[in-house]
Amino acid sequence: MLQASERPNIYCETLGPDQFGIIEKPLTLAEQIYNKVWLRKLAILVVLALAWEIYGRWLDNPLLVPPFSAAVQALISDVANGTIPKRALSSIEVLLVGFAVGTVLAGLLTVFAISSKIGTDFLDTMTAMFNPLPAIALLPLALIWFGLGDGSLIFVLVHSVMWAVSLNMLAGFRGVSATARMVGRNYNLKGLRFVGQILIPAAFPSILAGLKIGWAFAWRTLIAAELVFGVSSGQGGLGWYIFESKNQLEIPEVFAGLLTIILIGLAVENGVFRLIEARTVQRWGMQT
Amino acid sequence: MTGGPALASKTTPDTRLQSAQQAPRGRTAPNQEAGRPLLDVRGVTMRYKTQAHLITATYRVSFSVLQGDRFVVVGPSGCGKSTLLKAVGGYLSPTEGEIILKGERITRPGPDRMMVFQEFDQLLPWKTVLENVTFPLRTTGALNGKAATDRAMQYLEKVKLSDFAHSYPHMLSGGMKQRVAIARGMAMEPDILLMDEPFAALDALTRSRMQDELLALWDETRFTVLFVTHSIPEAIKLGNRILLLSPHPGQVKAEINSVPRGQENSNEAAALGREIHDMLFADQITKAPDAAGE
Repeated sequence: MLQASERPNIYCETLGPDQFGIIEKPLTLAEQIYNKVWLRKLAILVVLALAWEIYGRWLDNPLLVPPFSAAVQALISDVANGTIPKRALSSIEVLLVGFAVGTVLAGLLTVFAISSKIGTDFLDTMTAMFNPLPAIALLPLALIWFGLGDGSLIFVLVHSVMWAVSLNMLAGFRGVSATARMVGRNYNLKGLRFVGQILIPAAFPSILAGLKIGWAFAWRTLIAAELVFGVSSGQGGLGWYIFESKNQLEIPEVFAGLLTIILIGLAVENGVFRLIEARTVQRWGMQT
Repeated sequence: MTGGPALASKTTPDTRLQSAQQAPRGRTAPNQEAGRPLLDVRGVTMRYKTQAHLITATYRVSFSVLQGDRFVVVGPSGCGKSTLLKAVGGYLSPTEGEIILKGERITRPGPDRMMVFQEFDQLLPWKTVLENVTFPLRTTGALNGKAATDRAMQYLEKVKLSDFAHSYPHMLSGGMKQRVAIARGMAMEPDILLMDEPFAALDALTRSRMQDELLALWDETRFTVLFVTHSIPEAIKLGNRILLLSPHPGQVKAEINSVPRGQENSNEAAALGREIHDMLFADQITKAPDAAGE
């Protein structure tokens, strides 16, 4: 048993940096390749496409599942002759209008909700009622109110976007830290300036998540609505293209239409939203 | 209040007088009479409601802060010192009494009383260090354009962070974030800087360095600061005037002078620390006489 007083002080020499073999070493090429996110994702896509191709050939029934190559061929030929770009453009046009209107309305509703108690109750009640209501269920009514055209499409789009986005926005605003709020009030920020300068940036991760969900909801609703009543103002969108192709038993074209929707989704997710994330929440260290 | 007068005679009381005379800036309103306090807290009672209780945080607290004071409020947790500081900040209003700054009653938050919080998230994460400092200058209309940037850089240099002006807050360490918050508060050149345990979340070494830096900054600009802490050594080191609050609810135990600058390791400071400790924990000592740390 050593007493505390008997223990000597111990001093050690540390090694200088030149006495170590390796302090920093570059990763191997394989490790560097594996670290690229887009490469890993591309690999996943290639594997999925291969599985599809093999299954399609093994099944040998192009009316049920045409192989991946046939779908790609149909896609390329319809892109080349302008059918798909035209259809996609008409879908996206309606989609953007509906998405924008829905988002703006959600923003207004949420600002109203955080500025008064009755506003919070209003938003709570409205989202509880309408968020679970499928947009497609409103389509018959919309058709009666707005006729067979873009009006009714935009109506159901706004419905599908608005509630999801405002729920996320409200959750984001409620989660803003008390310190950040006090900082804003310390600078005499009030009303809309307070919302714009403090609340929106502070709640941006939630708002962005809401926008992503809203975007996906909008796509689903739009394609489904087009499948149900198709042509609007003489020119159909992607949903109608899929419906038409199915009626003519051009199954590779059906898959081409589905692929187009997937491709647009990927482009928006990886192009637009990823870019916004990198420029905002990631740069600000709110998300890793 | 029993220990108050005795202590005041023991320690040299003129640090406060000195600083009041030396206040070098044009921040003092010209019509302010000499000796009139910058901040006057008069009989402030703070009460707030929780779900089940009505809690009295402070009871009839009065004190005055003079221009150039380093006024420290010290007390154990539960003495309502943070609540009191938030009332001076204008975030809470007193249920009784009033708080007067430069002859005007405080009713709401404002940029004439810049707050430095304990939390690291007081810096807005979507703005760079420089933008964080210029933001209040611009939004309050104090300065614009290049003038705001120049002022911000000037204060960032004072806290030795000009190299990090374009970094985002999440890239900085805790101590650096607090330095940015201090620079931000000082750049506004407020009437009084309110600091709510700004170093409490820092490790001991960083904390001690930050205290030295704050004192160096004070030597340079002689700002008025109201500082809240639960650490007695910090109060003795940083303050020229110390207000002791008792817990549950917070009441003034004493308002005393600290030891002169640079003597925070002297015997006098140690004696003062013991006195403060005894005063703050007087209630516990009566319950357990053996526990008195003499």
